[in-house]
Amino acid sequence: MNFDASSLVDSEFGTVDRRIFWDKDIYELEQERIFARSWLFVAHESQIAEPGAFVTTYMAEDSVIVARGDNDEINVFLNSCPHRGNRVCFADSGKGRQFTCNYHGWAFGLNGDLKKMPKMGLYKNTPGFRMEDWGLKRARVGNYKGLIFATFCEDAPSLEDWLGDFRWYLDAVLDVEPGGTEFLPGGATRSVLKCNWKFPADNFVGDIYHALWTHLGGAEPTLGPHGGVVVDNEGSYQVSVNGHGWEFNHSFFGNAATMGDKEIIRYMKSREEAITARLGQFRAKMWGAVSSATIFPNFSFLPGYFTFRTYQPRGPLETEIHAWTLVPKNMPDEVKDRFRRGSMRTFSPAGILEMDDGENWEHSTTINRGYVTRHQKLCYAMGADTAVEEDLPGKVNAGQVSDHNQRLFFKRWAEMMKAESWADIPLAENTLDREAAE
Amino acid sequence: MNATANKKPDYGSLPRLTMEQAREAAYHLLAMKGEGADVGIDLLHRIERFYYKEARMLDEERYQEWYDLLADDLFYWMPLTESRFRRDPRPTLSPEHMAYFDESKADIAVRIGRIASNLVWTEDPPTRHVYIVAGIEAFETGVPGEYEVHSTFTQYRNRGENDEATLHGRRRDLLREVDGSFQVVRRLILLPQSVLQTKNLSVFF
Repeated sequence: MNFDASSLVDSEFGTVDRRIFWDKDIYELEQERIFARSWLFVAHESQIAEPGAFVTTYMAEDSVIVARGDNDEINVFLNSCPHRGNRVCFADSGKGRQFTCNYHGWAFGLNGDLKKMPKMGLYKNTPGFRMEDWGLKRARVGNYKGLIFATFCEDAPSLEDWLGDFRWYLDAVLDVEPGGTEFLPGGATRSVLKCNWKFPADNFVGDIYHALWTHLGGAEPTLGPHGGVVVDNEGSYQVSVNGHGWEFNHSFFGNAATMGDKEIIRYMKSREEAITARLGQFRAKMWGAVSSATIFPNFSFLPGYFTFRTYQPRGPLETEIHAWTLVPKNMPDEVKDRFRRGSMRTFSPAGILEMDDGENWEHSTTINRGYVTRHQKLCYAMGADTAVEEDLPGKVNAGQVSDHNQRLFFKRWAEMMKAESWADIPLAENTLDREAAE
Repeated sequence: MNATANKKPDYGSLPRLTMEQAREAAYHLLAMKGEGADVGIDLLHRIERFYYKEARMLDEERYQEWYDLLADDLFYWMPLTESRFRRDPRPTLSPEHMAYFDESKADIAVRIGRIASNLVWTEDPPTRHVYIVAGIEAFETGVPGEYEVHSTFTQYRNRGENDEATLHGRRRDLLREVDGSFQVVRRLILLPQSVLQTKNLSVFF
């Protein structure tokens, strides 16, 4: 399909055509050109810690199983039987030896291979039938410091090149302590919003601006009148790599403070020296700071609360949020429990901050029902891009209050929507691996 | 304390359970199976009246009055539910899991303070609520003045033009009789959805 994405996104001045949040054909093309070609987050390795452990999740609208095999390898494959198509696994998580389809009993191993089925002899006598042709379709799998990503696209670059230099920043939440990280137990917190998936994704990629108004009420009880959070462009940043984006300041626990638990702050302060020694001051100060991030296209997180979430598209007008809370493994259990309650009480469907967001994104989406309305462009023009003095990886903007990252998010969206193949999609230079090789 | 007062309350001074106290309360709620003796018919009638009045207070956004029905040692819990195979040996509900609500009384005060700030745009204009409570069963606990109560509910919300949510569920409560009226000491809210079919839980149960 010849698709003129550049007429929908002006990433120079900063405008976005509202039909991209409404149009069914654009949504269908996103499934092909964005989601089926991207590395998508599927699980944290702590969710499937032992051989046989599995979770089921989604890569956009594709249901997948993430399972750890006997050789400790992590496998990702479609959760759909190639015989008649039925969903194979109906549990959200569990442990087992195989996945057996309810319909006719075809059974698949922990790597998705077809192992056996009732009346197997009939197939053995079927000319041309080979067991190895009918396993569950496997995805490529990558792991960055505990976060597992997958893609069904053979032409996509490596996960290392896809994340690129964004990994240097990711270490500010994934590599703060020795021993790595884990998701807190109990599975994903899941909820349904009647909004287009791009509104929450672009909110997290670079929109601290909304917090100053949307979250006034939610922040008041814990932080005092008008929030008490200092947000300005002194000593703060936006960084973008391949459409992934992170806006942040250097407040170290600015986000965490809005959970209203002094013991959390006390603990974080007690770790500051060691984290600074590990990551250097620049990244250590990002750990729980006033900040938000999105890994393109639909995987977002909030340092400080440490909510990590996917925005799973369910048609142009609906999104499912799947959220988990990430903590360093070596954190004391009592502090982990404080983060469990703190992230739940701020950023979950009952969270005093998340509850402020949903209605905005829903009405930004559904108001486009109006023909005249959806032909008026949206403004993403805030803040001229401003260079920083430091030598930092990625495209870096001085100041976190800006539409810088959101312009680059939609630029990336347009690049992938326009491209006929991966060969036509630009990729930022991966300087981390180049330097490591030198 | 007055959670809706204009002056910001000192939330740090409000009643809060330790992790151990909350865990103990959670396991108590999980073990509640309605195995005590039925309370007498007069007491049951008073308990039913308490629930209908509580529901009406929530419908009418009388949050401060509702807050006063909560005991200082409140544990208020709505755990997450996963779909799991029957053969799965892990407990379905656990106080160590993520939850929607896992609250002490001080946390409820923060939520009421949020609404009282008048800065919550998503509750202005206000949401309209109808709370239906049914199937109330009450049992003796062995502790004089404390009762185990099971009930079902339907919580209907509507705001704006066509934004609505209907939640059905079940509650297990520990009620305490104090000076002739009741307080909620422990509350387990069981929502039979693994994916919450609405955008938020901007509501009390």
